[in-house]
Amino acid sequence: MSVNEGALMWVEKYRPKTLKDVVNQHDIVESIKAFMRNPKTMPHLMFAGIPGTGKTTTALCIAHELFGMQNWRNFTLELNASDERGIDTVRERVKDFSRYSRGAFGDIPFALIILDECDQMTGPAQTALRRIMETSSRTSRFILICNQSSKIIEPIQSRCAIFRFSRLERNAMVEHLKDVAKKETVNISSEAVERIVDYAEGDLRHAINALQTAAAYKEDAVVDEKVVSQIIGEASPKQIQLMLNKAINGDFMEARRIMYDIIGTYGFTGAEIIRQMQKELFKISYILPEQKAEFSNILGEYDYRLTQGANSDLQLSALLAQFVKVGKALGESS
Amino acid sequence: MKNDLWVEKYRPTLIKDVIGNEEAKILFVEWLGNKRRTKKAVLLYGPPGVGKTTLVNAAANEYNFRIIEMNASDTRSEKAVTRIANPATSFTGLDKFSSEIKGNILFMDEIDGIAGNEDRGGVNAIIKIIENTRAPIIMAANDVEIEKLRPLKKVCTLIRFQPTRIPLIIMALKSICEQEHVKYEFVALEKIAVNSQGDVRSAINDLQGLSEEGKTLTEQDTLALSLRNKDVSMYDTLKEYFAVKNIADAANLLNYSTVEYDDLLMAIGDNMPKRYTDTVKLAEAYDFLSQADVFRGRIGIEHWHLLKYFYNNLAQAASVDPESYKPFEFISPPIRVITLFWTKSKRTLLTSICMKIGVQCHVSKYEAKMIFVPYLRLMLQQRKKANALAEWLKLTPEEVTFLTGLKMF
Repeated sequence: MSVNEGALMWVEKYRPKTLKDVVNQHDIVESIKAFMRNPKTMPHLMFAGIPGTGKTTTALCIAHELFGMQNWRNFTLELNASDERGIDTVRERVKDFSRYSRGAFGDIPFALIILDECDQMTGPAQTALRRIMETSSRTSRFILICNQSSKIIEPIQSRCAIFRFSRLERNAMVEHLKDVAKKETVNISSEAVERIVDYAEGDLRHAINALQTAAAYKEDAVVDEKVVSQIIGEASPKQIQLMLNKAINGDFMEARRIMYDIIGTYGFTGAEIIRQMQKELFKISYILPEQKAEFSNILGEYDYRLTQGANSDLQLSALLAQFVKVGKALGESS
Repeated sequence: MKNDLWVEKYRPTLIKDVIGNEEAKILFVEWLGNKRRTKKAVLLYGPPGVGKTTLVNAAANEYNFRIIEMNASDTRSEKAVTRIANPATSFTGLDKFSSEIKGNILFMDEIDGIAGNEDRGGVNAIIKIIENTRAPIIMAANDVEIEKLRPLKKVCTLIRFQPTRIPLIIMALKSICEQEHVKYEFVALEKIAVNSQGDVRSAINDLQGLSEEGKTLTEQDTLALSLRNKDVSMYDTLKEYFAVKNIADAANLLNYSTVEYDDLLMAIGDNMPKRYTDTVKLAEAYDFLSQADVFRGRIGIEHWHLLKYFYNNLAQAASVDPESYKPFEFISPPIRVITLFWTKSKRTLLTSICMKIGVQCHVSKYEAKMIFVPYLRLMLQQRKKANALAEWLKLTPEEVTFLTGLKMF
């Protein structure tokens, strides 16, 4: 594994530089290597899959192999669909970029545009993107990255070769973490590594960040399970958990106060809050699986209403009120 | 007694008891009594509540006419007008010979309510009936200056009513108070009369609303009156909204409130938990609010016909449990506005930090927030390598301080 020496976040320091180093996505890597043998034939690509499985890494590796480690930045435009202000920005930047870099480098006749989080784009924005892909196809190749390909409109899907990144296998993650630990001369127990991998749920960046934090806590000593548990505790969404507990135990006002606190500080959208509630709900130990299912249904209903409605605070308040009601019924029946 | 509407109970049945507008009364009685009247129809016009309808009823009573009435609630398309008005105006009743009834009067109230599509051809139908009628036709309107009534004005005798003079209203109120055994301060009656702006009906309604059996009606009681004819403000809307007795009251209130509906929804949402302390009721009310919001979303910028469903859900939320109402203090300004205002600088800092993480680690702001910030704040708390790390990410000292002090979401 090559190492990016300058980087201080291990996620970046140990990000694979070449396709062969990409963790646990052999089939995809083989197909892409086939394109690399004759780069001119490379189509637009779409990478779909859950976070932390190597989509961005693979895209960057392609850039490295196409343009070389020295020059790739000059010919690659990295955009984030949800961060950039609307499709017009994307259009302008893509236009400027493809004009600037056209034919400037060797035998690769195009520039590479990596567009992350495409599934966050609205329908009209995607339609505009489709047009941009068409008009700039002579000078640019797109790599579109998303979590769910189903949220991308069909015309774009049909213009791309789609690759689905599967959840990383446990063993591959364990091996990779141990490898990083060895290179950083961190002394870590096997149980501790297992605990991190359990917590990260297939997201390798999450796991590496946890590892680095644990290592920072136990500078020269052995990183054991206890430290890892402490880190995980510190880095888990405590306020979301507290909000859930308050609601289920009948304290609506406090639950709502916490909700506003989270929104105020972190600027989450309603859907993002519900996503995290869903995740934390299933970790609560004192309610039965059937009861969790009932709460989960409420989350689902309000997740949908959020997409229809106009005022996300109100929907979240209504959601918490339903939790209070169901929680109370459970408390009385048990 | 409290249940009877005083405006009905004390509606005069004799022409002489109808207060004010003496000139109009004389003109009207002359027209009605004149068998060889030049115009077969009369149009009474003037502001609401000055006695137009009352005068017609009193005159019919005194002169033994039977009134056949059509008002704004009937649809006045050409068909509907002809169906009702033709029989009423073309035949003399059989009972003419056996009783003292002199015949029919066709009375069309709120004639200016003839509007747009629904009353297609209505005005023409009325004119046709006026041409052929044997019975007198009386019409009443608030506003005759509207374009579509112009052809009608040509075939009618016009009689104008003016706002009833204040002293006359005071006298009427006094008389009602005495009959209802309501004790009163004279100033209070004066206030009610002035506030009515010459509208006797509203003055009597106000009087009934304010007086309580066994209590003296004071000037203090009339202070609430100043709101009549004004927009219902947010505060008043909320106050009434949370206190409604049933869904009809709520619907009515929302109908009249001029508060912007997005603001209203937000304010109701904020205050709902103070209204319903019972968790089951609260959940029920919030469910209605949530559905109201869904309709708000569906309206978007074009489907305004869905607004009624929005209001309907709001009305349902208000009337989940009317009995449990207790006055409470409202939360204002909106929680969202306060929260977001005080935390704006925090979010700006966090966004800036997440963008810096994004540049170095190829992640979106959202991912930076979710899987980098939680760990980064812990790493930065460990002093040893913190400075180098912050430098690599190009974080300012302020951003580092913010991160290390940040609570987990």
